[in-house]
Amino acid sequence: MSTQTAPWIILFSPLAAAVLIFLIGRFSKTLSAGLAILSAATGCFLSWWLFRQTEVAPQLSLEWLNFGPELTITIGITLDHLSKVMLLVVTTISTLVFIYSTGYMRDEEGYTRFFAGLSLFLFSMLGIVLADNFVMMFIFWELVGVSSYILIGHYYSKDSAADAGKQAFIVNRIGDFGFMLGILLLWSATGTVAFSGLLSAIPGFEGAPVYLTVACVLVFMGTVGKSAQMPLHVWLPNSMEGPTPVSSLLHAATMVAAGVYMLARIFPILEVVPDAREIIAWVGGITCFCAALMATQQNDIKRILAYSTISQLGYMVLGIGVAPTSSEAMFHLFTHACFKCLLFLAAGSVMIAMHHETDMWHMGGLRKKTPVTMICFIAGMLALSGCPFTSGYFSKDLIIEWAVLKIPFLGWLAAAAAGLTAFYIFREFFVVFFGKARSEHAEHAHEQPVSMLVPMLILAVPALFAGLPMIQEHFFTLSHPDAHAVPHLLHPFLYAMFFGGAGLAALLYFKAEKDPVSIPLFANRLYIDDVYFWFVNKIQGGGSIVLSWADRWVVDLVIVQVPSKLTWACGFALRFLQIGSIQAYAFFFGAGVVGLLYIMLSK
Amino acid sequence: MPTLAHYLLVSGLLFSLGLAGVLLRRNILIIFMGLELMLNAANLSLVAFSRFNLLPNGLPNYNAQVLVFFIITVAAAEVAVGLAIIVALFRAKQTTHVEDLNTLKF
Amino acid sequence: MIDPVFLEVSVVVLGIFLLMAEAFGLAKEKSTLAWWAIGGLAAVFIGTFFIGPNSNSFEVSGFYVVDGLSLFFKRFVLISTILVLVMSVDYLPIVQRLVPAERPGAGSGEFFILPVFTCAGLMWMVSATDFIMIFCALELVTISFYIQVAYLRRSMSSLEAGTKYLILGALSTGFLVYGITWFFGATGQTNLVAIREVLPLIPVANHPAILFGLALVLVALGFKIAAVPFQFWVPDVYQGAPTPVTAYLAVASKAAGFLVLIRVLEPFFTVPSFQNKLFLALVLLALLTLVFGNLAAIPQTNFKRLLGYSSIAHAGYLLMGLAAIGDAFAGGAVVFYLSGYLLMTFLAFLILVPVTKASGGDDIAHFNGLARRSPGLALAMLIAAASLAGVPFTVGFFGKFFIFEAAMNQGLYLLVLAGIVTVASGFYYYFKVIRAMYWQPAPEDAGPVAITKTSSVAIFILAMLILILGVYPQLLIGMLP
Repeated sequence: MSTQTAPWIILFSPLAAAVLIFLIGRFSKTLSAGLAILSAATGCFLSWWLFRQTEVAPQLSLEWLNFGPELTITIGITLDHLSKVMLLVVTTISTLVFIYSTGYMRDEEGYTRFFAGLSLFLFSMLGIVLADNFVMMFIFWELVGVSSYILIGHYYSKDSAADAGKQAFIVNRIGDFGFMLGILLLWSATGTVAFSGLLSAIPGFEGAPVYLTVACVLVFMGTVGKSAQMPLHVWLPNSMEGPTPVSSLLHAATMVAAGVYMLARIFPILEVVPDAREIIAWVGGITCFCAALMATQQNDIKRILAYSTISQLGYMVLGIGVAPTSSEAMFHLFTHACFKCLLFLAAGSVMIAMHHETDMWHMGGLRKKTPVTMICFIAGMLALSGCPFTSGYFSKDLIIEWAVLKIPFLGWLAAAAAGLTAFYIFREFFVVFFGKARSEHAEHAHEQPVSMLVPMLILAVPALFAGLPMIQEHFFTLSHPDAHAVPHLLHPFLYAMFFGGAGLAALLYFKAEKDPVSIPLFANRLYIDDVYFWFVNKIQGGGSIVLSWADRWVVDLVIVQVPSKLTWACGFALRFLQIGSIQAYAFFFGAGVVGLLYIMLSK
Repeated sequence: MPTLAHYLLVSGLLFSLGLAGVLLRRNILIIFMGLELMLNAANLSLVAFSRFNLLPNGLPNYNAQVLVFFIITVAAAEVAVGLAIIVALFRAKQTTHVEDLNTLKF
Repeated sequence: MIDPVFLEVSVVVLGIFLLMAEAFGLAKEKSTLAWWAIGGLAAVFIGTFFIGPNSNSFEVSGFYVVDGLSLFFKRFVLISTILVLVMSVDYLPIVQRLVPAERPGAGSGEFFILPVFTCAGLMWMVSATDFIMIFCALELVTISFYIQVAYLRRSMSSLEAGTKYLILGALSTGFLVYGITWFFGATGQTNLVAIREVLPLIPVANHPAILFGLALVLVALGFKIAAVPFQFWVPDVYQGAPTPVTAYLAVASKAAGFLVLIRVLEPFFTVPSFQNKLFLALVLLALLTLVFGNLAAIPQTNFKRLLGYSSIAHAGYLLMGLAAIGDAFAGGAVVFYLSGYLLMTFLAFLILVPVTKASGGDDIAHFNGLARRSPGLALAMLIAAASLAGVPFTVGFFGKFFIFEAAMNQGLYLLVLAGIVTVASGFYYYFKVIRAMYWQPAPEDAGPVAITKTSSVAIFILAMLILILGVYPQLLIGMLP
């Protein structure tokens, strides 16, 4: 095994698994799950092996398209520290979620289809991680979108699931449109789409800062779509219609983080465009605070986690905007992948115990029924809320420190969001696991099989400890701000936020029968979804007289009907040349000869 | 003494006669004869070109005359196959008129 | 190492052997003949990879050339023939029903043997560099096609198609030889290599004679490749001929015609006074062909006839590539397009045969509800239609893309515009098939469509190739000569 071939095996084994499952999976459920897990485990093993290799051979690249020297697109591999770490995260978590899925999906329809979809997703995600140029990344970016669409719509007979799949797809298209434009701008400026080529072209950009800023912001739009930043965040909570392992793997740990990974990949370019980074920082900071606000008033256990994911992704994007290297954001991506995945898996376990009930006010008192799940949930919860010395504490605080130094307002906003985080997650915890059972299902809930519990227990370990300096230094080279520069108040404030948020949640929700607080603004997600809905419906409806007139007479008649009827009529008329008689054909033939002779012999 | 132009003229007339036959006659057999006439027009002019445009060594370019033999052979093969098809058509439809062949159209 | 001519010789010997085997009753089942033919052709195909240096006397006398291009097309023709034979085995019941016979099965053996002779002709044709050879090979192909088109002697449409093809084919042959005559008269040569050498030396007074000959040869080859206005035979013959023969005509005959056209026109593109006129003629032909093929296809309801019009439309795109031949990549683009065209056309016809057998006709309506009857076949048909229309991630997309790219580089903006507009109309008529398969209900009593193992393997391979080359076209580009 060489460091040249290993990445290719990692990349293509999930694709092979997907194809095999598609071809022969229908014969056996065990076989299809086994194939998927085998491919993910192979990738996981090789990723760890690769990570341990200090010397990396130059990577091969296949020429994919050759349109001459100005555009040659390759399929190639980037294997640097960044992609190695991301490989670890993606393959390890995938393996665990695949194993968990065998338990979660055991009684579901479309078992093999589900595993084929997961394998396809893994292939696409690894393609993003390993891509060495923007075009290849974009293709896999789209493939990830497709597999997400398939997996969200897994229960396609359910309308809400199908709609959610569609919404995710369409909202992502908006972001991807900007992403594509950005790639084209960068390409037309540098003549290359390869990351290495782009990086070496940076000095040439110094003369055109505005151009580069626009290009970078457009590329960032891809992140806004894929990583659900405001204002394109609406699809992510709705995507919770998919099976929980999908929410856990795609919509928490890996796929949504692809946007952050992409920014980290082009970080050297971003470094020379401070304006673009400032925009990125503001989008991230505002998203992280607002999403946390929205999470405080949700009642669906998965939706709380979804808003929490948006909020945490906001931290990462903020980190890209303010931290001196990309490692800080990647560090948070890494820890978040562990604890958020864990939280989702625990929520899934609760849901199965509750027969797919997701309203947490129908739960309660589950601490005795599902103790292992609760322990796992606590581990994830502590990390998420930034409890001192858990993984989230280290990674989140680092980003907040940098933010306070660079853009103080955003820094304090992010610190306040940390308090909200502690509040909403403890709220969920108390409502679900404490109090009295509030429904039939909650009284008869029972613990889940080993195949679901073991992945959760494994994930609980890094969720708690991955942030400790002696562990994380193996993965990241972090730069800490000067201890004296950071305001002295910041750390006490963060502790206060954690204990305050948790304490307030305990106070309000420890034995609550129904929600004692009602803030419609937050419950209705700051009305952003409604604005969109209103925009789509009302604005369209308001101008409907004009629009429908235009639609009917201009669009429909002039642009659609006339040409389509006209071409049809032309075709219909041309058909009559084909009259069926040999001699008519011979005449036309002769006419053609005369015409050709005229062209050839005329002066 | 006829010159090259005379031969080419006759050949052109033959070709036109053949083409006219194809375009104007209604019987497939006659049309087929017209087609053979067109091939023979080509034969005539090939031989004429070969005889009048001598090579530097004073010999005619025999390539063209070889081609004439090929054309004659191919024409014979074409007639054999063509007549067989026309006979099959006649058996099935009791007609050799082109107007009756118009079910495949538009 | 094999002498190149040995390839054609062995194909002819194979054909004669099969004729004898059929005459003396060596093959109990008629389909055995097809398997022998497939085996023999596969062996010849393998043989093409072991070609020795060009030392034979044909090569020396300039009759016959073995270069990368001709070798590529020999393989192309062999693959086409093998696929036609695979399809023919599936089609055998229909042949036996529609051929008069004294006892069951008689008279259907030649249906598998004639393609072998056609194959030999096509293989010779792609190597021919002398007008004598081009003529002979072309006629071997054409005459054997006359028989194949009219093979179903109890089917009126087959006979009618055969007669139409016979008359119009012979007419184009007449123009071909008359054109060759004038070439010879003006240049004193029948050999393309020699013509290329003497062309710049010809006095201007003789140019009209050459142009006259060139126009007539262009007419005859335009007939082969279905360029408007010499395309009129195509829809009728495609509809009436037995389906495997239609596929053969659509792919191999057209591809060989294009190759001969490239070879014949090549010398003239080097001389400016010819180049301009030729360029104008090709652009006009391409434009007419694109517009006619695509527009007239729109109202079609018969699938085979639709494929006939679609084949005209594809000839339009190929002519566009030919008009852009000045671009370095145009030749490669044309060959790429033809290769993709082979895959998708054969895929469509391979699916059509079992569907025709199961639902009793080849109208688009006979595809109704195929997605529910045989989802696999419907998916394959979807891939074929998408590729024919030029949807991204199929080989058809890259075929059109490369052609348009070459045409853009040559400044043929009008043609590219026409190409893009007609592609849009192409989406419409290919979509009709997809709509029938996925949105129309199947007939009440319809079960799954029965299909032979070999056909399904061939369908699977072709569909996969279309997708693979649609994602990674470099695989094929690397093989281009």
